[in-house]
Amino acid sequence: MDRYHWLLVFHVLGAFLVLGGAVFGGILNFFAMQRERPSEVVVLYRMVRIAVSSIAVGMTLTLVFGLWLIGDLDFVKWSDAWVIIALILWVVANAIGGVGGKREKATRELAEQLAAAGDAPSAELRARMRDPLTLALSWGSGLVVIAILALMIWKPGS
Amino acid sequence: MLAIIRPDAWNFPLFLHVLGATALTGATAAVFVGAVSERQWPWLRTVVARTLLLVVFPAWLLMRLAGQWIDSKEDIPGDPGWLGVGFLVGDAGLVLLILAMIFGAVAVRRPQRSWPIRAVAIITGIYFVALIVAMVAMTGKPGA
Repeated sequence: MDRYHWLLVFHVLGAFLVLGGAVFGGILNFFAMQRERPSEVVVLYRMVRIAVSSIAVGMTLTLVFGLWLIGDLDFVKWSDAWVIIALILWVVANAIGGVGGKREKATRELAEQLAAAGDAPSAELRARMRDPLTLALSWGSGLVVIAILALMIWKPGS
Repeated sequence: MLAIIRPDAWNFPLFLHVLGATALTGATAAVFVGAVSERQWPWLRTVVARTLLLVVFPAWLLMRLAGQWIDSKEDIPGDPGWLGVGFLVGDAGLVLLILAMIFGAVAVRRPQRSWPIRAVAIITGIYFVALIVAMVAMTGKPGA
């Protein structure tokens, strides 16, 4: 494989870690909402941390190798509209995913407290897991990443 | 940047193919983690079985059908190895996923047996690695 293909492999590996991690986290989040006992919610929310690590590593790989590819290729320019939009969306996805993640961490900590204090089903925990703002931030971040994938494939304006 | 020069007509099937492949990889990883952790939390068997049926299999369908759609548009000369790896992981993957879904259902219906959920963990672990190998082969196109 030549240099271009190696860079592309690591760039796409990053995309797989991000999108795969988002699906991984989304599945566990969905099933956590179906559970009543706080200790069961804790188990699923702790597994979500694997997805968070995968997304963090993937986001870094996509940026580093994406920028490297732009610098390496003559026919892709820093000023291309799709490159600029993709970079802005990358920042947006990280920002809203980060805020959503902090809110979910607070929910996990509440579940841990409830699990330690008798493990009884809690209306507050149920409401936190279904909080519309938290869900919109987390799922919205995933949708922004899908929009970046679409930009990478269609490359509008190039 | 998935490819630089490509007819516009390939974009939509490629988008679906990559979306399906990434969802399949993430969902397979979730099933593997759930199946491995089941010994400590047996209720995870339901999560594993439902994820296989409701996420992994639909994602495989999206990945495979969109891949076939691209193949019908693209005239690749010869039978390059990277394409063969993609087809092998795609098609053999269906057999593995059907087995995993059967074992997953048995694990839920027969909670006293542990071998079916172990089988799911082994199958999805192997398939996850195969998906990463296929991704590297199809992106890097070694020998092309």
